[in-house]
Amino acid sequence: MRRAGLRTRVSAAFAVGALALSVCVTVVSYELTRSTLFRERERTAVRAAYFDAALVDASLSGGATNVADVLGSLDAGGDRYVLIQRAGRWYSRSADTDTHAAVPPGLREMAAGGVAAAQRIRRDGAPALVIAVPLDGDTVFYEIVAQRELERTLQVLALALAAVAIMMAAGGAAVGWYVTRHALRPLGAVADAARGIADGDLATRLDPDTEPDLAALAASFNHMADELDRRMRRDRRFAADVSHELRSPLQTLAAAVSVVDRRRDGLDERSAAAVGLIVAEVNRFQELVGDLLELARGDQPVTREPVDIAELVTRVVRAHGLDPGIVEAGDPGQWRVDARRVEQTLGNLLENATRYGGGPTAVRVGKGFLEVDDAGPGVPEELRATIFDRFVRGPAAGARGTGDGTGLGLAIVAEHAAAHGGTASVRERPGGGARFRVELP
Amino acid sequence: MTSVLLIEDDDRIRLSLSLALEDEGYTAHAVATAEDGLAEQRRVGAETVLVDLMLPGMDGFECIRRLRRDDDVPIVVISARDDTHDIVAALEAGADDYLVKPVAVKELAARLRALRRRGRAPASAAPAMRTLAFGDLELRPEAGEVRLHGDQVRVTRTEFRLLCELADHPGQVLSRQQLLQRVWGYEIGDERLVDVHVGRLRHKIEDVPGTPRHLVTVRGLGYKLQP
Repeated sequence: MRRAGLRTRVSAAFAVGALALSVCVTVVSYELTRSTLFRERERTAVRAAYFDAALVDASLSGGATNVADVLGSLDAGGDRYVLIQRAGRWYSRSADTDTHAAVPPGLREMAAGGVAAAQRIRRDGAPALVIAVPLDGDTVFYEIVAQRELERTLQVLALALAAVAIMMAAGGAAVGWYVTRHALRPLGAVADAARGIADGDLATRLDPDTEPDLAALAASFNHMADELDRRMRRDRRFAADVSHELRSPLQTLAAAVSVVDRRRDGLDERSAAAVGLIVAEVNRFQELVGDLLELARGDQPVTREPVDIAELVTRVVRAHGLDPGIVEAGDPGQWRVDARRVEQTLGNLLENATRYGGGPTAVRVGKGFLEVDDAGPGVPEELRATIFDRFVRGPAAGARGTGDGTGLGLAIVAEHAAAHGGTASVRERPGGGARFRVELP
Repeated sequence: MTSVLLIEDDDRIRLSLSLALEDEGYTAHAVATAEDGLAEQRRVGAETVLVDLMLPGMDGFECIRRLRRDDDVPIVVISARDDTHDIVAALEAGADDYLVKPVAVKELAARLRALRRRGRAPASAAPAMRTLAFGDLELRPEAGEVRLHGDQVRVTRTEFRLLCELADHPGQVLSRQQLLQRVWGYEIGDERLVDVHVGRLRHKIEDVPGTPRHLVTVRGLGYKLQP
């Protein structure tokens, strides 16, 4: 599974942090509000209950006998129920005679013991407070205060706080998203620079002064780029130096071999065969050095100029001793390319077709592309990706036959294509054989 | 028997190339330094000079310049150096062609033959001498003469061939590739040869080489000669 992006993760962390914080604040403030409100209400309720109890006590001790009448005289709102337990009998004001069932037994016992007490209960799904006040002579005054209104207030408060918590979480996520966008902007510059280097622009560097926090990253990035540049230069220079140093001895060999080769007829059979081998290998050696130098030079910029491409193709085909009739020129017009490199690209493709593909059957040139078809066995699927690598030879070269190439021809083709910002590829030709295609923008 | 002067400081290359050139039917005069080369050329007057660029003492570039001062002898550079800077510098000093080591003997022989063809007057050299006039520029192909404002101009054989080729197609644009093929005999060659030779010619046949009137560049196509 792909890991979520840094930005997503930072935003999520911000959201979770904001949510946790707001939940804490919400819970604490809810609890504080709730307990304060309850305590306030209870105190009021208890005071009211004592007042009522005093009234009832006064009435009863004043000789009133109808307890229900005494209760009826009390000024009780809809949320208050008053009860009196006298000599084991319950008196209530209203018709709901079951009200006394709500009085918890523990409270009754305490009241029976002569202790005034209050207890929270739930009645009809809402909180309520039962207050017991023992009066004179086996009489206990109870008052049940329903706190439905308080409950509703608290519900509204809880809803409001939850909404605030969610908004804070969303706000946290938004802040995280915004902050990371700014924080990641310098990393975008790093990504661009890395892409530049991958595309071959080895001079790409980061400015360490633009983002002080990323100075260390910029410094190591630049160091890496320097090192890469230095190594690549060193490798190329080494290849160039080696090839260069090989040129003088090769010149001697080439000239000396031609002298011996001329006299091959006068040699005995074994010597003639040996001379033939030397001539062939010196030739290949020359090609190899030439190709190595070409590759070592490959990073030099392309010098583009207008080129009549159809004329160039015909000329190169003719120079390779092939029939110019195999050229199929669409309407390619003029290309702005490096003529020398394109000549060499086509030359190498033609040589490749001759060496490994039974000879080119068609050379096609059109808008921005060049194709060479051959009559060979084609290139197996698994070789198509590596065939443009250095020293990779065609399937026919498994057993190195005579006239084997340097193994660098197609690598040079790929390098020239890349130098132009183009591509080189190979595919199956309809009807068998391989089709090499070079696209140059 | 045609003679070739070889100026090359590497003993083995000098020896092997001398042998190979003699096989090809040339008389080879081989020397190791530019100073000896200049003296030898004055003495034997070889038909072609092959010169290396990296020489002890006087270098190849200076050697080419000095040879050019007295002579229109064809000069071919044979060097292990192949960067543009060296090639252009050698051609500007006056070389006719540039080959990078290692040169196959067949290739070298082909280049020498092409130079000799260039040197010889066309086969159709008729007693009736043609004069091709381009304003104040006059060309006598059969006599090998170039005149500007009536004064004779000294050009090398390769420059003369190039001028004749353009003069044979007055006002018509010839591409670098066409010129390479017709003057140097290259099917695939280095277009810098043409550019540098055109530059050298302009210094000789133009009043203001920077803004040529006769030998003009047609961008993206090639060169043409006009009055």
